[in-house]
Amino acid sequence: MSNLKYRVLLIVVLVAASVWALFPRTVTERVRKPDGSFAYEPVRRVPLKRGLDLQGGMHLALEVDESRGAVANKVEALDRALKVVRTRIDEFGVSEPVVQKVGDDRIIVELPGVDDPERATQLVQKSAFLQFQITDETQALDKALPRLDAIAKEKGAAGAAAPAAQKPGAPAGITALLTPGADSTKAAGDTAARADSTPVGSTTGGPVSRLITQGQIPGQYYVAAADVPELQRYLALPEMQAALPPGKSVRWGSDTVSLGGRSFRPLYVLDTRPIITGEYLTDAKPNTSPIDGNVVEFQLNNEGGRRFKRETGIHVRDYMAIVLDDRVMSAPVIQSAIGSRGQITLGGGDLQEAQDLALVLRAGALPVPLKVAEVRNIGASLGKDSIDKGMRAMVIAVVFVIVIMVGYYRLSGVLAVAALMLYILYTMAVLAGFDAVLTLPGLAGLVLSVGIAVDANVLIFERIREELDRGKTVRTSIEEGFKHALSAIVDTSLTTILTAAVLYQYGTGPVRGFAVTLIAGIAASMFTAIFVTRTFYLLWLSRARGNQTLSI
Amino acid sequence: MLRIFHNPSYDFIKWWRVAAISTIAFILLGLGSFVVTGGVNYSIEFTGGTLMQLEFKQPPNVADLRSTLDAAGIRGAEIQQFGSNREFTVRARDERQVSEQAAGAEGVARRIQDALNRKYAGAFTVVRTEAVGPKVGGELRRGAVIAMLLSSLVTLVYLAIRFEWRFGVAAVLSSAHDVLVTLAFIKLLHLEVSLTVVAAILTLLGYSLNDTIIIFDRVRENLKKQRKEPLRDVLNRSINETLPRSVLTHATTLAATLALLVFAGEVIRPFAWVMTFGIFVATFSSIYIASPILLWIEEKYPRKVEGRPAASPPREPREGRARAQAQPPTRPTPAAR
Repeated sequence: MSNLKYRVLLIVVLVAASVWALFPRTVTERVRKPDGSFAYEPVRRVPLKRGLDLQGGMHLALEVDESRGAVANKVEALDRALKVVRTRIDEFGVSEPVVQKVGDDRIIVELPGVDDPERATQLVQKSAFLQFQITDETQALDKALPRLDAIAKEKGAAGAAAPAAQKPGAPAGITALLTPGADSTKAAGDTAARADSTPVGSTTGGPVSRLITQGQIPGQYYVAAADVPELQRYLALPEMQAALPPGKSVRWGSDTVSLGGRSFRPLYVLDTRPIITGEYLTDAKPNTSPIDGNVVEFQLNNEGGRRFKRETGIHVRDYMAIVLDDRVMSAPVIQSAIGSRGQITLGGGDLQEAQDLALVLRAGALPVPLKVAEVRNIGASLGKDSIDKGMRAMVIAVVFVIVIMVGYYRLSGVLAVAALMLYILYTMAVLAGFDAVLTLPGLAGLVLSVGIAVDANVLIFERIREELDRGKTVRTSIEEGFKHALSAIVDTSLTTILTAAVLYQYGTGPVRGFAVTLIAGIAASMFTAIFVTRTFYLLWLSRARGNQTLSI
Repeated sequence: MLRIFHNPSYDFIKWWRVAAISTIAFILLGLGSFVVTGGVNYSIEFTGGTLMQLEFKQPPNVADLRSTLDAAGIRGAEIQQFGSNREFTVRARDERQVSEQAAGAEGVARRIQDALNRKYAGAFTVVRTEAVGPKVGGELRRGAVIAMLLSSLVTLVYLAIRFEWRFGVAAVLSSAHDVLVTLAFIKLLHLEVSLTVVAAILTLLGYSLNDTIIIFDRVRENLKKQRKEPLRDVLNRSINETLPRSVLTHATTLAATLALLVFAGEVIRPFAWVMTFGIFVATFSSIYIASPILLWIEEKYPRKVEGRPAASPPREPREGRARAQAQPPTRPTPAAR
């Protein structure tokens, strides 16, 4: 009798614990305020984590991008990249972001509730490698041009032949560029706009020279927007790379400039050695200045400040290009030695862009470029829809099962249904307790398990019926029924758990959620079928002593 | 007491030939469809590529949608209605588009969205985007295959320990049958094979295995009681004895899968289809595939117990034996090929 008391007590305690585990509670969450800022605020909710497919959000898998050169120590680089990405995401502010390494070569970023996936991708992927480089004053490019022209001529024929073969109808790009008519109009436009600058290419007429016009400051050149792809193709040639002036690097400007109604892209020739890089940066914040528009103001640490002051002191009156991710943001003249503060002008960028840039600069540069290997983005409305439909299927499944069980097994069916309710409660509680994530396949698994969970009870009931058929007493039949059904229940449960474990090991995201739900479900089902139902029977037997019939 | 299939005594094993032929025919049908209409309809996760689910305010003209995408250079995209006539999925996954994903998976998605923005600005929302690079797709494919093989192996070992190797082999072979039949079903219904469907197949395997184990558990028990009875009769009796349980459990599970199929929405529907089919496969294979295989193995590699002189008469004869005698006279076991 005391045995029974303990049984009931255990069930009641577990129910209480489950209810407690699932009771809506106050948790501190990062919340996005209407004005776009973020704050930690207490939120009341059921402590059951929903996967991205149920609450909406973004899943990104990032890999080291080796398309622009091999990366020496990939594993170590990825570890450092992970830290940077984590810092950026933490500052980006979504409620419960996940940033983790998977395997040796991949970073997974999960951002629940993100409404601007484009921006999030940018933020994660931006290298944010900041360099300050002095523009070239030695006309190094002009000196190298004849040689570049020669290479372009040699390679150009081959380069032009390939696109021409692909698009038979269209004239080859290079031929169009070389036609005198097109060139003269361009040159005319240039001279009209700026009398002081002469097209570099007008004298030599080489394929490269023709594309380039002297810019307004030393080391700056203009390239007509339409010619940019052409020149980029030339510059990508390895021979061309080798022929560029030593100690100098060629970088594109970030914005196009409009001159005389035509748009040009600036091209800069810079000293390869940066006078300073972003590693000394301690702070960066967005600001709006009346003259420069949106800017990012940054602050260097003491060492960086000293170095910056020394270098800019040497280069007074020179132009300093601020290079972010190999793009020249701006190239102001150095009026006097600069200390530990400075600003980056964004040109046409809006305030959000300035905010994001400040954020990535603060978080630090990515040690290696990252590329997106996988992206999944689920709208919040779709997630909510999935939950609603899943819950509806759940309710209907439960109703069906109740009808079948009670209709067939009568009182015993009622006991089984009570056990089933406990089963659902326990499963949810286990999920909440282990901080498992409920995904859409997981929800489907839960619905499915409602149907399967009664199997253990069915096995037991059928066994009890068989024992009753053999003329045994009610009490003995129940005992025997449970005893004989046990081995089958244990074997089926364990094999299912093994399968689920394999699924967990080899699955990703949603499928893992499914495996976890399955395992939690089986554990709960074993307990409710073997222990809870038995206790119900024992209770019934103790009430109805001497009862010779069992409603089953 | 409401009862179904009370004390049945059907000779299930008798039908093994018919069962084998029909299941092989079904598998061949699937295989034929595979040969004729081309490969399996893999999801983006496995093939690499881009999927976008779009919800329009007004039902769009599909031809317009297609030409908009074609004009943007997204050629050969599959456009499918997804649920209502305002929701569509666009899948871009021809070779060129997949290899483009290697440089950055989000590129094609952005191009699709830009193209649609020009044409339908404000009249649609992207509710779901999936873009998977070729490398990830390959890894997932491998992972799915490993998961299937490994779970079979683990099951085999477990059953070999808990029962004996004959039962393990019979159960695993029957599982292999389940996979083949389910793949044929997926192919015939042209369901999309996603990770969720792989999960469904594995769940189905577990479910079917459960069914087989329930019967084998009874066989094990009956063998202990009745060492002289031929295995064929033991199998038949065990299947008959577990029949009410099978019917009940399949009914409740079917209730759950039907609820999923009808009410849980488009995303989960392939999963629900596979599981609904799986219930029938499980019932079928545990009775008509696993049991005859066990019988066949028994004939090839007989257990030692049978070789023993039948010295021990059945212990403790029970009242229930009356049922065994009610069975039709045993026929010689079918010749195993």
